[in-house]
Amino acid sequence: MGNRVAIVGIGQTYHKSNRPDVSQPEMVNEAVRAALADAQLEAKDIEASFLSNMETFEGIYLPDHGMADEIGAYMRSGLKVCTGGTSGASVVAEAFHYVAAGLFDVVMVTGFEKQDCGDTTAAITAACTPVWGKGVATGAIGEFAKQALTYMENSGSREEHAAMVRLKADRGACLNPYAHLKLGLKSIEEILASGYLVWPLRLLDFCPQSCGACALIYASESAAKKMAQKPVWIADVETVHQEPFRAGSFGDPTGLETYTQEVACERVYKRNGITDPIKDICMAELYEPSNWEELNLYERFHFCEKGEGWKLVEKGITEIEGAFPVNPSGGVIATNPIGATPTIRVAEAALQVRGDAGPHQVTRDVHTAMATALGGPNWTVLTLLKRSL
Amino acid sequence: MTQQSSQEQELIRINYGTPRPYKWATGKYIGKLYKEAKENKQLVTNRCPQCKQLLWPPIAFCGRCKVDAGEDWVVMNQRGTVVQYTYLVVPMWDPHYGEKFANPYPTATIKLDDGAYLVSRLQEQDPEKLKVGMRVEAVWKEEGRGTGMGDVLYFRTIEE
Repeated sequence: MGNRVAIVGIGQTYHKSNRPDVSQPEMVNEAVRAALADAQLEAKDIEASFLSNMETFEGIYLPDHGMADEIGAYMRSGLKVCTGGTSGASVVAEAFHYVAAGLFDVVMVTGFEKQDCGDTTAAITAACTPVWGKGVATGAIGEFAKQALTYMENSGSREEHAAMVRLKADRGACLNPYAHLKLGLKSIEEILASGYLVWPLRLLDFCPQSCGACALIYASESAAKKMAQKPVWIADVETVHQEPFRAGSFGDPTGLETYTQEVACERVYKRNGITDPIKDICMAELYEPSNWEELNLYERFHFCEKGEGWKLVEKGITEIEGAFPVNPSGGVIATNPIGATPTIRVAEAALQVRGDAGPHQVTRDVHTAMATALGGPNWTVLTLLKRSL
Repeated sequence: MTQQSSQEQELIRINYGTPRPYKWATGKYIGKLYKEAKENKQLVTNRCPQCKQLLWPPIAFCGRCKVDAGEDWVVMNQRGTVVQYTYLVVPMWDPHYGEKFANPYPTATIKLDDGAYLVSRLQEQDPEKLKVGMRVEAVWKEEGRGTGMGDVLYFRTIEE
């Protein structure tokens, strides 16, 4: 695995639909400053910057242009990563590789998206040419709608179970000072009363478009020893990809495909001696664009048997005070600045390991946590974090 | 008054009059699908020589087996079964062409009887009548073919 790498600084902006008060570089600067303050470092201490953002979501092709000064990266080494929805986790893995290889001792990872600049659905639709893939495009939501239907049919779950996931997310979001949607939802009925967008997905079943940024600072083992902040060790990273448009869908209605989530988690579990994921791992931050997808992911990551994901939420196992908390931050359904979304999963999991999550710190002691990412072109990226290696 | 309102419409429909310089090649394999759809109203694809699965859309390589897929072409039966469907409730638009999709615009993942899975529109517009397992058949556009799968107008419900 190379040299050991620790996360020694974590910073986020608050999240909103619109940030007319700042330019994108100014917004990213807020997260960069927060991470530096958390690590008790200065910009001059960072050797390289690794960025994540979705090209064209802000209406321009190189959104990292004109940002070097604001993020303290002037004359630094580094690069930008764009792998679709997983970008913010691919950049976590990429920067890890550089430090693990011994090329740098202290680096910064920054994910960002300012979705009030552009048109996200236009950018997603423009991900495919009219030759193939554009087809009957209804944005990302149409795919997750079909997947929700298949999940319901196969598992015997009901809309109430998806509503329980939404309630859980909102409860976490209301405790999380950085979350975007804090709705104060009180009941399942309230969620089932929200209108359908694309059947069977309701308005409250899908993630928002957020503006925000998240920054992490990594240190090599030798550098981490001199740092003020408690280290959270990156125990493992894994990336698995596949072509999503063969079956015409994110999910696999064919039953022929192997899911990238299953391949990725099985590799991580094997390498790290994890035999019973929800006991050996203490909590997870999942990339769930919809509440239905969270139920699906419980099964794909082997948190339960197939067709039983909804039972985890019904029994309260994945609540903040449950035996295996999932997305105590409120998750993607509450906060979704796309290029930063997977970086936030890692940041939130790291805060839980450090015990610094604040009001949404889970009840269970977290010595190991997993952060996941999902995105076109059907990639899964996993990050496993530990308090000690 | 009439003149004024037509001027307002001119402002909304901005016509640049300059062709956009995009040239998307279909490539050899999807090109054959386009040709057969346009000229013969046929859905064709190729079969992997190793795993024997129908690949869709046609492609030069089988990703699973990591082998050249070759030229084992199959003309597919145009009947199939709906395995997933959805429909719009809130109107959506296509930002490439500036067109709004008509609601409810039902779309489905369809398993053709030969085994290939594809995504298309459904003729049935009544959400109450949409079902997993419903039997459907391709209906072709008579005019304006040459757009690959876009040449299929929709899949209509069939009784068997």
